[in-house]
Amino acid sequence: MKFKKLIYGFLSVVVVISLIVGLINWNVNVLATSKNSKKVKITFLSTKGEINSQLQEVFKNFSKDYPNITVELIPVGAGQSPFEKLSTMYASGNAPTLAMIDPSDVIKFKNNFLNLSNEKWVKDAIKGTLDDVTFDGKVFGFPFAIEGYGLIYNKQVIEKAIGKFEPKTIRTRNDLENLFKKLQQKNVTPIVISPLDWSLGAHYLGIAYGAQSRDYKMNKRFIDDLKAKKVDLKKNKVFNDLLDTFDMLRKYNYLKNSPLAGTYEQGAQLLAQGKVAFWFMGNWAWPLITQINPNNKSYGFIPVPITNNPNDFFNNAIVATPSKILCIDIKNNSKQQQEAAKTLLNWFVYNSNGQKNWVYNLNIISPFRNVKITPNDPLAKSIVEYMKAEKTFRPPFALLPSDHWPIVGAYMQKYLAGKMNRQQLLTEIMKYWAKVK
Amino acid sequence: MNKRLANFKIFLTFAGVSTIAFATVVIVPFIYGIYLTFTNWNGIDNKYEFIGFSNYLSLIKDQVFRDSFLLTLKYVFYTVLFTNLIAFFLAYLLTSGIKGQNLFRIIFFTPNLIGGIVLGFIWQFIFNNALPYFGQQLGIDLFSDSWLASPEKAFWALVIVTVWQYSGYMMMIYIAGFVGIPQDLIEAATIDGAGQFTRLIRIILPLMAPSFTVCLFLSLQRSFMVYDLNLALTKGGPFKSTELVSMHVYNEAFLSQNYGTGQAKAFVLFITVAIITLIQVYLSKKAEVEA
Repeated sequence: MKFKKLIYGFLSVVVVISLIVGLINWNVNVLATSKNSKKVKITFLSTKGEINSQLQEVFKNFSKDYPNITVELIPVGAGQSPFEKLSTMYASGNAPTLAMIDPSDVIKFKNNFLNLSNEKWVKDAIKGTLDDVTFDGKVFGFPFAIEGYGLIYNKQVIEKAIGKFEPKTIRTRNDLENLFKKLQQKNVTPIVISPLDWSLGAHYLGIAYGAQSRDYKMNKRFIDDLKAKKVDLKKNKVFNDLLDTFDMLRKYNYLKNSPLAGTYEQGAQLLAQGKVAFWFMGNWAWPLITQINPNNKSYGFIPVPITNNPNDFFNNAIVATPSKILCIDIKNNSKQQQEAAKTLLNWFVYNSNGQKNWVYNLNIISPFRNVKITPNDPLAKSIVEYMKAEKTFRPPFALLPSDHWPIVGAYMQKYLAGKMNRQQLLTEIMKYWAKVK
Repeated sequence: MNKRLANFKIFLTFAGVSTIAFATVVIVPFIYGIYLTFTNWNGIDNKYEFIGFSNYLSLIKDQVFRDSFLLTLKYVFYTVLFTNLIAFFLAYLLTSGIKGQNLFRIIFFTPNLIGGIVLGFIWQFIFNNALPYFGQQLGIDLFSDSWLASPEKAFWALVIVTVWQYSGYMMMIYIAGFVGIPQDLIEAATIDGAGQFTRLIRIILPLMAPSFTVCLFLSLQRSFMVYDLNLALTKGGPFKSTELVSMHVYNEAFLSQNYGTGQAKAFVLFITVAIITLIQVYLSKKAEVEA
């Protein structure tokens, strides 16, 4: 009996000691990071998987300019949504200092984010890029990258088939169809539509929400009206026009016989190898395209034409919008870490070293007026040209619920495959909106 | 009283830590999860309201949920059936003493070592690229298009990959069952004049009943809960036609941000699977005999 008691006693002492040691260790760690005023470590949640290795490089370069700050990258797993990752990190009380999230997610987390209204870069941001991250006049996010999409053309292929090609001459749906017909006569398949729910649901239909009016506020109102069941999409001109164009595009689709069989990679392959002349996609596809065929650099965007009126603004404008937002956490990070995070943002915008790292290393179109340099890829250059000519517009992505693209994208897939007609498609979309709270 | 206390002490010494761990990571979240089914929590907000049974009412009315539940039942039926048939047949073959049977066992077991996500991507390539290529070259209509592009075929693609993945694992359990049958029984039966088929039906199958219990339970439970393969192979597409119930629950909770409804659906799924597997285990236990 005594022996047993001895063992119990011994065991409990061991448990207590290990607990104390553990706590002390933990405390030391915490104190070391918070008290040591020189060294700060901040974390950066990246949701752009394609540039993660470059980001690490950029963080190293940043630490050369600011030796007391180190930035640690936290990647988001493939297929995981930024929203989901960040909410689990908040749930575990371990939020990153800087979180890169989608514009629509900012409002959901805004109580956890630092108010950035007094930062210098707020005044230098390109007009409109802060709209989605401003609430009650307070700015909660830093627009990290502008991305755009439209019909990517492969100039080499087109010119080989029909001679000189001037993208600006395509100003209506008929112009585009005539070009397609000419290409087809020369045995070039005009276009591939990749049947991806995000591409069809968010991007293609996104145009319909964004092209309701040139006034962004009116588009917001349109969405509110949809929710209130005040809109009849079957009579909506923009939706019908855009779907007319869609009908035209799918007539010339590479995947016409099996429209749902394509993948994202296949789209890039077909375009880069010159098997199709056009692909509906955005500038994020550039790394993939150039990897498949590094010799060809002559690509660019043309808008998805909506009508047959050559002077229609939306026939001449492509979508370009801040696609990733950086936000600074105030719940789990110290004041010092927040300051360090602000330093990183300012380094991107105002330090020439930072600008170069941002634009060239990460291949990003900066949403700030004072950043004069642009990335070295033809797709980004094409977007910058449209931006300079003020021929870009933004779909109200921040207002689309997070299940909009998978659900409505699935309807678009059915429409693409001919399993649903236009009336059914528009009815389903209206039903979807009626359910949104 | 004192004895009880002593017993309790012994229990704490040996099972205390694991009980606490089990309670904190399984029991408590489970009960909390049930509690959340009565709220309208969206998954991140700090506040939510208590809304009674309306989550359960809405899931009964939810056509999409019902469809995906029925699809899952269909999927479970075919995968459990084929997995066990093939696994049993393979085990029978690979305990009959053919040449290189150990090598074959390893080969058939290997798919189980690959995670569902990787497996899904490999098969996606096969269905999207490899099979259509051969189909077009050889003029076989069945394969000339990607299977993942049509709802019917995408479903069968899921079944095929699942069966391919699990049958090796179940085969191992069946092999253990075969090896565990006392040889003297078989010999005695042979001497008594029982042919191969009679031996299989009258002796081997009844003695294998414990293996069936385990295999059926495992394949049932795994098929009901499948998510990774569904995600990697079809992502629920084309147009959500192959969205099995786990994926539907996940999307409801995290994508549509209806955590309460999603949790309620998950709870219904849990109850269903629990009832079905309990019945199955009870019935197959009754069929077991002692050698």
